[in-house]
Amino acid sequence: MNKKVDELNESINKNRVLGLWGLMRGFRPIYGIAVLAVAVATLARTSIYYLMRFFIDDALTRENLVQILPWIALGFIGLAVAQGVFTYLSGRWAAYTAESIARRLRDYLYDHIQRLTFTYHDQTQTGELIQRVTSDVDAIRLFFSEQLIGIGRIILLFLVNFIGIMLLSPYLAWMSVLAIPPVLVVSFYFFRRVGTAFERFQEAEAVVSNRFQENVSGVRVVKAFARQKFEMDRFDGANKTLYQRGIQFALMHGTFWPITDVLLGAQMVFGFWLGAMMAIRGEITVGTYLAYAQMVTLIIWPIRNLGRLVTQMSTAAVSYSRVADIMAQTQEPLAEGDYIPKDGIRGKMRFSHVDFAYEASLKSEAVDKANTVGALAREQTETVEERLQVLHDISFEVEPGQIVALLGSTGSGKTSLANLVARFYEYEAGEITLDGVDLRRYPREYLRQHIGIVMQEPFLFSRTIRDNIAYGAGRPVTDEEVYEAAKAAAVHEVITTFPEGYNTIVGERGVTLSGGQKQRVALARTLLRNPSILILDDATSSVDTETESQIRRALNHLMENRTTFVIAHRIQSVMTADLVLVMDHGRIVQRGTHETLIKEDGIYRNVFNLQARIEDELQADLAEAVPA
Amino acid sequence: MTHEYFEEEEFTGRIDRQTMWRVAKQGFRHWPLMVGFLTTISLVSVSDSYFTFLSKQLIDEGIGAGDTDAVLRILMRYGLLIIAQAILVFGFIITAGVLGDRVKYDLRQRLFNHLQTLSFSYYDKTPLGWLMSRMTSDIQRVGELVSWGFLDITWGVTNIIAALAFMAVINWQLTLIIAALIPVLIVVAIWFQKRILTEYRVVRKTNSQITGSYSESITGVRVVKSLRREEQNLSEFQGLTTTMYQSAFRAAWLSALFLPAVQMLTALGVAATVWVGGLQYQVGGMTFGGIHAFVSYVTFMMWPIQEMARVFASMQQAVASAERVFSTLDTEPEVKNKEDAVGISDLRGEIVFDHVDFYYEADKPVLSDFNLTVKEGETIALVGPTGAGKSTIVNLMCRFYEPKAGQIRISGVDYTDLTLHSIHSRIGMVLQTPHLFSGTIRENLRYGRLGASDEDVVEAAKMAGAHEFIITLDEGYETEVGEGGVMLSVGQKQLISLGRAILAQPDIFIMDEATSSVDTLTEALIQRGMDSIMTDRTSFVIAHRLSTIRRADRIIVLKDGRIDEMGSHAELIQQRGHYYNLYTKQFRDEKAVEYELDL
Repeated sequence: MNKKVDELNESINKNRVLGLWGLMRGFRPIYGIAVLAVAVATLARTSIYYLMRFFIDDALTRENLVQILPWIALGFIGLAVAQGVFTYLSGRWAAYTAESIARRLRDYLYDHIQRLTFTYHDQTQTGELIQRVTSDVDAIRLFFSEQLIGIGRIILLFLVNFIGIMLLSPYLAWMSVLAIPPVLVVSFYFFRRVGTAFERFQEAEAVVSNRFQENVSGVRVVKAFARQKFEMDRFDGANKTLYQRGIQFALMHGTFWPITDVLLGAQMVFGFWLGAMMAIRGEITVGTYLAYAQMVTLIIWPIRNLGRLVTQMSTAAVSYSRVADIMAQTQEPLAEGDYIPKDGIRGKMRFSHVDFAYEASLKSEAVDKANTVGALAREQTETVEERLQVLHDISFEVEPGQIVALLGSTGSGKTSLANLVARFYEYEAGEITLDGVDLRRYPREYLRQHIGIVMQEPFLFSRTIRDNIAYGAGRPVTDEEVYEAAKAAAVHEVITTFPEGYNTIVGERGVTLSGGQKQRVALARTLLRNPSILILDDATSSVDTETESQIRRALNHLMENRTTFVIAHRIQSVMTADLVLVMDHGRIVQRGTHETLIKEDGIYRNVFNLQARIEDELQADLAEAVPA
Repeated sequence: MTHEYFEEEEFTGRIDRQTMWRVAKQGFRHWPLMVGFLTTISLVSVSDSYFTFLSKQLIDEGIGAGDTDAVLRILMRYGLLIIAQAILVFGFIITAGVLGDRVKYDLRQRLFNHLQTLSFSYYDKTPLGWLMSRMTSDIQRVGELVSWGFLDITWGVTNIIAALAFMAVINWQLTLIIAALIPVLIVVAIWFQKRILTEYRVVRKTNSQITGSYSESITGVRVVKSLRREEQNLSEFQGLTTTMYQSAFRAAWLSALFLPAVQMLTALGVAATVWVGGLQYQVGGMTFGGIHAFVSYVTFMMWPIQEMARVFASMQQAVASAERVFSTLDTEPEVKNKEDAVGISDLRGEIVFDHVDFYYEADKPVLSDFNLTVKEGETIALVGPTGAGKSTIVNLMCRFYEPKAGQIRISGVDYTDLTLHSIHSRIGMVLQTPHLFSGTIRENLRYGRLGASDEDVVEAAKMAGAHEFIITLDEGYETEVGEGGVMLSVGQKQLISLGRAILAQPDIFIMDEATSSVDTLTEALIQRGMDSIMTDRTSFVIAHRLSTIRRADRIIVLKDGRIDEMGSHAELIQQRGHYYNLYTKQFRDEKAVEYELDL
């Protein structure tokens, strides 16, 4: 794979022509041969007309016609076979090139994208990215499979037959291409217009689809207000526009083709007239005239498709630069690092004076975030232009197997801190060590292999539950292991109630799991990986009390003997922590254990008191509801 | 739900005649257009063949005879024919184009209008994407078949007949030889096209899998990274691209082979012409021009055959598309008016659920023997876990579904005796995820009552508590919502849909509260809006917020399709049952939000 990666990296080029040329790396000879095959096929085809000329002028008048006739017939077949074989080969090789290039590009992009940094993905819209790696790659494929070779075919047809006619009569040859410049002009003009008209047509089509989609997804509202009639009228408006755009499209084609028909037809008649006159005057033979009449059609008619191919090629070039944008992004160097501990990770971590800021291009999003935590925005006014600093001077130490709880409001930096542990982002100042060694010396891939993460809203893949649990193990996993993990994560029982059990497909195409169920499947997934360090987001607010206690049990099981970072959302879940870090606006403002913090004045005690106050209020509310 | 049913069906390979006939009928509705393109394309075929015949005459009568006048005369005809053909080409492009667009327009309209009559049960089991494909690609294919498909076939058939006729005029023996070649050509051509199409289907299927795979790995990229799945994912993905490569390449080389194969077959025809024609030339049965014409006819013949093969091969798919469109059009709505249904002007009075049973799938009862009597003007809060039947009760109340057993009576009348329209138009509804249509805020509000004046709209917005935030928007009531417009928060959307319901002046109000939290201010506005609409109206609220629940006249706690607990807030708190648990949990959550205990 890496070889492929290198190959394609070199091919990125700002210049679109050079860039497309670069994509052909490794396939240039075969594509060249494909073009050559087109030339041979074209030659064979034109030779048929020469053979025809010989047949009419020479053979038919010979005494031994009966003897040579079979040979001539064979000659026709032979040339046809040659033409056929080479046409086929050119098509095959061009397809081979185009499909291979497309496949290599798809593989490369897929891998490249999953190796780009979090920062890149934070800034990029999924839909846009998917559009590029699918439609744009397909446009590039078409460039090689149809457009480039198609243009080659038209040019070769023209050249070979033009020379063919030149050999018969230069005068006739020049007189036969008079209509070509105007037809080219009309053709380019038309296909550019068609391009625009087609866009307008697609817009109208999109409106129809949107109306329809809106109607179906809003069917409850439509029915609840009995607005069917209104909806029908509304839809009819969009539908009619689409119909009219379609007719405009037909009108454009209806004008272009007849106009060029007449232009090229006039050229044909003119050529025929000249040729016929020359033949009558004896300047050329009848056979020559016949050969000419055939060849001239091959010069003239294909020309009008040139406009189409050239227009399409320009869209392929745009597609290339959109894809090249992605390719030009730097990958995360997963293997970079020189230290791999011999007996695994023990889990002692030390942060000293760590600062972290999101990159500049994240600005707008960062500013939004900053606004929600007003004070931060004020504090950061001078740096917010460039970057948003989310962690300041973070220092703390964890011993192997300890639990660190991170407590603080949204935007206080809890998640950012956790993200640094797995090196999803780069910290710029300070130092993080793991088992006494600088974290940066560990290769990212090694590090991530030994860190387990369970997020608040876990992402499951649309495959079976079994596959989801086994997803990150990185080794073949037996069914028993999967069941064990699911049992430990308190999700086994739920899974067995599904008709298809562990083979139930998750997500859009299958069963929708509840938030709590997803979280437990993700827990099972993490359990199977047996990580040395754990990062947990303990949000359980969306589940009922019973499920909550199940999850808690599963979590406790998971945390045994592992260094754990808990992103805490309630006091209860930090009570058992060995170290509580209270965070506010990117700084650690308090640290200690529940017992020590509860005695200090500060955020922790406020939160604790607030929770106690809510309990008091609840009791008061309940008492009020039930009159004595 | 059986998902397999909605996967794109594989093609059985047979073309159903009845469907074919029904497809053709779509075109017959616009018979002048159909007659137009059938005539013009047939004339084009004849003139195509006549061109070749003129070339023959030019060679024999003009050049061969050395007659300059004849040359001029024949070329004059040639020129006139070019102009005539240009007009014909214009004619068929326009008639076929318009017919295709017209058929597509008709079908889209009929499908859309028909879907408006179908019941919720239909929408529940039919994914949007499936309907979308009917509306777009399937209708597209039917339209193409009726216009360009029929056109290509007509062109092919008339072209071959015309060519054979002209050939027969020149030399009938040779024509017989060529005619024998045609069936072989057709069989070969169809075989090729079918193979190619099969490969393309695999390509398309793989393509959507590739897109899905991209989409998943991009949305889940953080998980992929933290689970270190990059290599394994890539190798799975390479499996897909390899399948894609193989099928696409096979389809491409089959296509590349197709034309040469047909060409070589026609070369046999050319060879026969040369041989037989040559022999006959000697005895005077064939001329230069004749041989030339035959060669042209034979070489040209591959084009109509190719076109016909292409259409026949894709016809299966088009007919399958047509079947799906027609079957959707033929679907009967499950909930519909009885023949003697009466319209009533209001839905006031007592509502009774009398031994109501309901299920979506026969073996999974949702409600069984459900009984409830609601007095006019009463506010009922429905609470309980997901799947307990809250939405079902509301949907039955609206008659989006009907009870499988038992009755629902409004003022003593079984509501199935009433027209659907009279029920729906007297109900106001606010959904959990408020659905707004693209358009302005004003248009969305007016959806509640189309005839409402601007003053009424503003009045309703004020009552709903939406007016305040609307006027802070730059364009006020003219602000576009949805795509391309401002992004409204869930709370704001709810306010607008509340205004919409208020404007409808319903007799029964139904609200499914949003679960996601909205800010305190919006929350208060929503409460005020709800108050103003619920006063004196029979209301059902699927309640999540304490303030709503507390305010209800009666709280119904549902569990597994039955009433688990029922009563006022105070009564239920005293019972210390499910309601008590739900309430205390919700209390803590809401307070946490209120005190910005945002962890």
